[in-house]
Parts: sequence; C-alpha cells; structure tokens
Amino acid sequence: MLCQNCGRNDATTHIKRIVDGESSELHLCSSCAQHLGYVGLFSGFGSDIGTLLSRFFPETRLLTAEDTERCPGCGASFDEIVRSGTMGCAECYDVFYDRLKPSLSRIHGRATHVGKTSTTRDDRLERREELRRLEAERNEAVKAEEYEKAAVLRDRIRELRGETK
Amino acid sequence: MTRWYQLSGKENDVAVSSKVSLARNLRDHVFTNRLSAEEKDKVAEEVTAAVNETLPDKFLVTPMNTLSRYAAISLAERNLVSPEFVSVQEGRTFLMTPDESLSIMVCEEDHVKIQALLPGLELDRSYELADRMDTLLDERLGFSFDTKLGYLTQCPTNIGTAMRGSVILQLPAMRILGRIRHLSNTVSRLGLVLTGAYGEGDSPTGSLYLLTNQVTLGISEEAALQNLDSLALSIIEQEREARGELMENLQFQDMLWRSYGTLKSARVMSFQEFMEALSVVKVGIAAGEFDLPMNTVNELIFSMQPATLNTEAGAALDRQERDALRAEKVREVFG
Repeated sequence: MLCQNCGRNDATTHIKRIVDGESSELHLCSSCAQHLGYVGLFSGFGSDIGTLLSRFFPETRLLTAEDTERCPGCGASFDEIVRSGTMGCAECYDVFYDRLKPSLSRIHGRATHVGKTSTTRDDRLERREELRRLEAERNEAVKAEEYEKAAVLRDRIRELRGETK
Repeated sequence: MTRWYQLSGKENDVAVSSKVSLARNLRDHVFTNRLSAEEKDKVAEEVTAAVNETLPDKFLVTPMNTLSRYAAISLAERNLVSPEFVSVQEGRTFLMTPDESLSIMVCEEDHVKIQALLPGLELDRSYELADRMDTLLDERLGFSFDTKLGYLTQCPTNIGTAMRGSVILQLPAMRILGRIRHLSNTVSRLGLVLTGAYGEGDSPTGSLYLLTNQVTLGISEEAALQNLDSLALSIIEQEREARGELMENLQFQDMLWRSYGTLKSARVMSFQEFMEALSVVKVGIAAGEFDLPMNTVNELIFSMQPATLNTEAGAALDRQERDALRAEKVREVFG
C-alpha cells in the first residue's frame, strides 16, 4: 500500500482516527508520518498498533531452526510475535525473554520496573532467571567433581520447579 | 448527571482535560489479539463481575455492539475511548461512571484499560482515581505482573507502569505565532510527545494538542506524572505570554472579533469552523474581553462534535442539518 500523503513510498504507519463523525484509517510512509506530526505516537496505547512492527523489530530476522519454539501459554512462535509486533500472552515474555532482550533495551534502555507493584504478582520471570543461574552453578560443580555441592544445588532447583525431593 | 467536562478545572484557560490510563491484563487469559469471541465474552464477564462486586451500581456497562455507530464514535470524540476501540465494536465492552470521569475499556489492545478523566490540569487526582480502581480490580482479577518488567502488556512498548498520562492543551496563540514546531522539538527531547488531538497532525483542529508521557519502564508513576505536570505548566505559561502579545496586535483583535461574530451569528457552522473560531475567542475570554465561564466554553469542544451532536439529537442528521443545529446551540451560548 502506498502512502496516502506522498503517494510514492510504502505506507508503514497506520493510524485510526475519528474525522467528521466517522472512523477512518490513515496510511502513511514513515517520513510523511514524521512530517505530519504522527511521530512518537507508535506506542499510543492502541491508537496505531501497525507502526510498532517496523519500529520494534527494525531488522527483519530470518527464521532459523531454533525459532520453531512455541510459547506453551498461547502457542505463539517468536516469528509471529515479530510479525505482529505484539506478544501472545504474559508467558511469552518469559519464554522469549532472551530474544526480546535486545529490542526491549533499545526501547526502554537497561531499565527495570520502578513504581507500583501488583499485590497479587507471581514472579515467573524471576524464578526462571534464578533457575538458570542455579543450573549453571550445578553444571560447574559437576564438572569440578564437587558432588556434594551439586546435590545441594539439585535439591534447590527441584524445589524452585515445584517438584518434590 | 453532571459530566466531568461540564466542571471547572485548574488552568482551564489552556488545559482542557487530563487523563491517566493504566493498561492491565488478566493472568489467566492469553492477550487480546489471540482471544476467541467466546473468550472475549468471558473476559468481559469477569471484569464486569469484579467491578460490580467492588463498587456495586457505580458503573454503566455497555457491550459496544449494542451501540449505534454514532453513539460509539461519540465516545471516541469525547476522548473516553480510543479510535482503535470503536473501529470494531464486536467483542468489546465499555464501563463508565455516570459522570464519565472513570471508565474501563475491555478488550481494546489489552484486556483492561482503566482511565480517569478530569477537566483542567489534574494529573494527580486522575492518577489517584485510576490507581484505586486498579488496586481493587487486581485483588479480584489478578493482573499479569513481573518484578523486573512491571505490568505485562500485549505491546512490548508499554511494559513497566503501563501508564499513560496526557493533557489536552489549547494553544491558539503559540500556533498563530509559529512556535509549535520549536515547542514540540523541545518536548520530544524531554521524552514526552506533543501531537494534534483532533484532525491532522500538523494543523490540529482548534489548536488542540495532546501532551503525553512516553517512557513506561524504569520510571515510577509519580515521577512520570510530575514530569508531565511541570512541562504542561511551563507550556501553559508560554501560551499565556503569547496570548498577551497577540492581544496587543490589531490584526489579531480583528480576527478575535470576527471569530466572536461567527459564534454569535452563524446559521450553519461546520465543526472545523466552530473549533477555529472558538480557539481564537478563548484568548479573548481569558483576557477578560468577553464575559463567559471557561468551563461552558470547554464543554462545547466535546458536545459540538459531529457524532456527539447526532447522538444527542437522537436522529441521523445529515451534514447540513447537523451544522445548522451546531450553529443554533453555539448561538445559545454566545448570543
């Protein structure tokens, strides 16, 4: 689709608007979007989801064999997330965290959350990170033949996973 | 019932309204884009039940597919829902208090979007309202949250506080004096965004601009709103100075009185024409040239919108009938 403003470039920014009592959609290329003052609106909370795609994942990633992994929560693959610019479910953040990291830090910097905390939270992501750390430690311990230490770590890993000893 | 936009707010010679919204997702459901029609109904049921349990009889619940097209679009015109939310009415539910100051969009981009809307510059109070609702609903619904990433949203750009604060500012003087471009560059360097609230981005209808925070991760709600508030105040001061300069100018005086004449006498008036005249006349009202309460004038920004007029009239008016009705209602205020 060509940009409705210049008619030359491909439209990458899609903006839903209300004009004269009707709902309409505006399709613009990125330079016209900028020129017309729609820049920065891309995360406008539902005002134009379409722009996000090109901004959030500027480099189109090639599908590799490892990318066949799917989120157990919703069935989304990482490729689908990139194409749509949207996550499938909360668990996607957990499952695809490593692959999301570069894009997340490009948008948000290296920041972590500050502010209001949900009173009913479950810290899946935190647990997962802790698990990874413990597993790496256990593998080191096994390599170094420190079996007693490895056994202690194994028990803590099982505990974190919610398995019984 | 008095609606929020009929009331008077702080700095309302320039600040029309303040809004704080919080995006939330229910832990036990996949995100909105992946929900089936039945699952969307289920989410709406759960949210409605939680709201009714917490605050019985406080909210009007409207499945969007029960509204006429005009009534739906009228909600967007009054800044209660996003254009995205009314683009498809199926599978969406809207809850609001009768004064329209507190509302919840169900299955917009995220499962739940809590919004508080107040006249003038009132970000703190808006946040208080939204925050309280959020806490109550979280206890019953359980929102997706992660210690590091904050509230988890469908769109990765919104994670963290998942909060947007915004202020609608009417800046006719800065626009006439050509100061908007410079202003919006300054604003974006500070991590905020200034865009047109209605109409085209570079020439927004009635010189109404929307000032919004951008960053949601790594900055607390309080800090983000404080930034927004102090920047809004500084823009308000700049607009007042610019208005002072304009009032000294004969050409502007002529424009002011002609615009007043339009509002007072026109028999047919498009929304565009109305808004342009109103934005100029507001400069005169603020300077004491015309004796009209600012909240009455600000209310017209919402009540004179095309689909809102049709909804109020309870009829599908064509453009000319609508423009005649608008002129009539405006004359009642300015005549």
